[in-house]
Amino acid sequence: MTSLAAMAEPSAAKADLSARVRIACRNLDFFYGEFQALKDINLDFFDRQVTALIGPSGCGKSTLLRCFNRIYSLYPEQRAEGEIILDGHNILSNAIDVNELRSRIGMVFQKPTPFPMSIYDNVAFGLRLYEKLSRAELDQRIEGALRKAALWDEVKDKLRQSGMGLSGGQQQRLCIARAIAQRPEVVLFDEPTSALDPISTGKIEELIEQLRTEFTIVIVTHNMQQAARISQYTAFMYLGELIEFGATTRIFMNPDKKQTQDYITGRFG
Amino acid sequence: MPEAHAAPAPTQAASWGRVRRPRRLADRAMKVFCAAVTALGVFALGWILLLLAWEGLTAFSPRIFTEVTPGPGSEGGGLANAIVGSIILTFLGITVATPIGVLAGTYLSEYGKSSQLANVIRFVNDILLSAPSILIGLFVYTLIVWPTGGYSGWAGAVALAIIATPVIVRTTEDMLRLVPNTLREAGAALGAPPAQVTMQISWRAAKAGIVTGILLAMARIAGETAPLLFTALNNSFWFNASLLGGVANLPVTIFQFALSPYPNWQQLAWAGALLITVAILALSVVARLLVRKAIR
Repeated sequence: MTSLAAMAEPSAAKADLSARVRIACRNLDFFYGEFQALKDINLDFFDRQVTALIGPSGCGKSTLLRCFNRIYSLYPEQRAEGEIILDGHNILSNAIDVNELRSRIGMVFQKPTPFPMSIYDNVAFGLRLYEKLSRAELDQRIEGALRKAALWDEVKDKLRQSGMGLSGGQQQRLCIARAIAQRPEVVLFDEPTSALDPISTGKIEELIEQLRTEFTIVIVTHNMQQAARISQYTAFMYLGELIEFGATTRIFMNPDKKQTQDYITGRFG
Repeated sequence: MPEAHAAPAPTQAASWGRVRRPRRLADRAMKVFCAAVTALGVFALGWILLLLAWEGLTAFSPRIFTEVTPGPGSEGGGLANAIVGSIILTFLGITVATPIGVLAGTYLSEYGKSSQLANVIRFVNDILLSAPSILIGLFVYTLIVWPTGGYSGWAGAVALAIIATPVIVRTTEDMLRLVPNTLREAGAALGAPPAQVTMQISWRAAKAGIVTGILLAMARIAGETAPLLFTALNNSFWFNASLLGGVANLPVTIFQFALSPYPNWQQLAWAGALLITVAILALSVVARLLVRKAIR
């Protein structure tokens, strides 16, 4: 861990000096076939902090998020170049086993994605893949994950029922429980509340606030108020480039770049 | 509705009666023509079904399920051996066709996608889907019956399996394609290798649809006659345990009895035809109910 912190150059905009770098992007380029969607991204993500990626549609923020667990590699025409360093390893190198990487980096998608199985099996899915747990341990881990996802009280009496029967907000919290049950180091959120009502959105935001004590969180959001509410750091992207990165308060109160200012005040995007 | 939101009134209202008489007449004539043709089709189908129900029910008796097919010119007898034979042949055929069809459909949807090989398989599958069933009977005859020196239930099951497979391939692929990609991504994001995602997520999500395809394939082969003529042939006795020699089955029995000059055989053919129709109808209804559940 110390070696990783030493390797990564401290960002000029770093506000909280106690925070350590968890993920470092170095000269990251991304291509959809011929089209270059990310251009030379250099960016640090700090340990146990929430970093929000904002920017207009098509700016590359979701693409950047999908690099961290290499989920893009499901599609042969997509590729990333450069380095993403996690715990001292370049995760873009071929030496890294993608499935193991993905078990260490959780992801929550825009639309809730409960699997067609019981609530219990949904959460157990990731655990059964990489850990040999006794029945009691499994039960315990599942309860723990559901409690952390603020869903336990609502589902404890119907763990054997299908996860598809829950409401949209509950389904999204189930997906969060499923992601954190594996005890990942990083949790990625891709617009996790854009398909939810305001009350469910509020619950998810509260939850992200609490999860920060254990996990490094990266969240893509279209909602600038949301970024301002829940993140400690914000990166503003535009047309595949990182325009500005810094502490969320500074980005929203006093951005350096005019483009950032214009986007935040709603002049474009 | 506040006036301010209404579109400004045109200065000169378009006059009525611009749609001229010939056009309205053509429109009405087309409607009548379509309705008449539909009625003709439904009438023909209704006639067949009513005649079948009438003749079938007249000939129906419990001994159909208990007695074997009678000899030519004799009275009484039933269809028990043919019914059991048909059930055995259909199940054997489906047992062979299901793993091949489901795995091939899975390959097309989950792995091959739009690759060259997948496109070729899809094309060949479509041809096989509409291949004349008599051709498949002849193919299995040259492949199995002729080299092994005799008709057998096994040859019949293989012929039925060849007919059922493309149906299952097609429905499996279609149903797996209905599974949203985000579900596969969510599985992969937890670190599940592709095989796990396919078996534990995609198959599970498409389960009702895949089972429907299997049931539809069963309905299809339960009534096939031509492929059995060259393979399982028929028999007026119970099948023997090795399934070698001819195996009694409903479609070929109906075919032979209906063409015979004996009233008793003709009666039994009607009863058998009704039985097979009801069985296929039941399979189709179950399949439809499952599809409704699968598509939600």
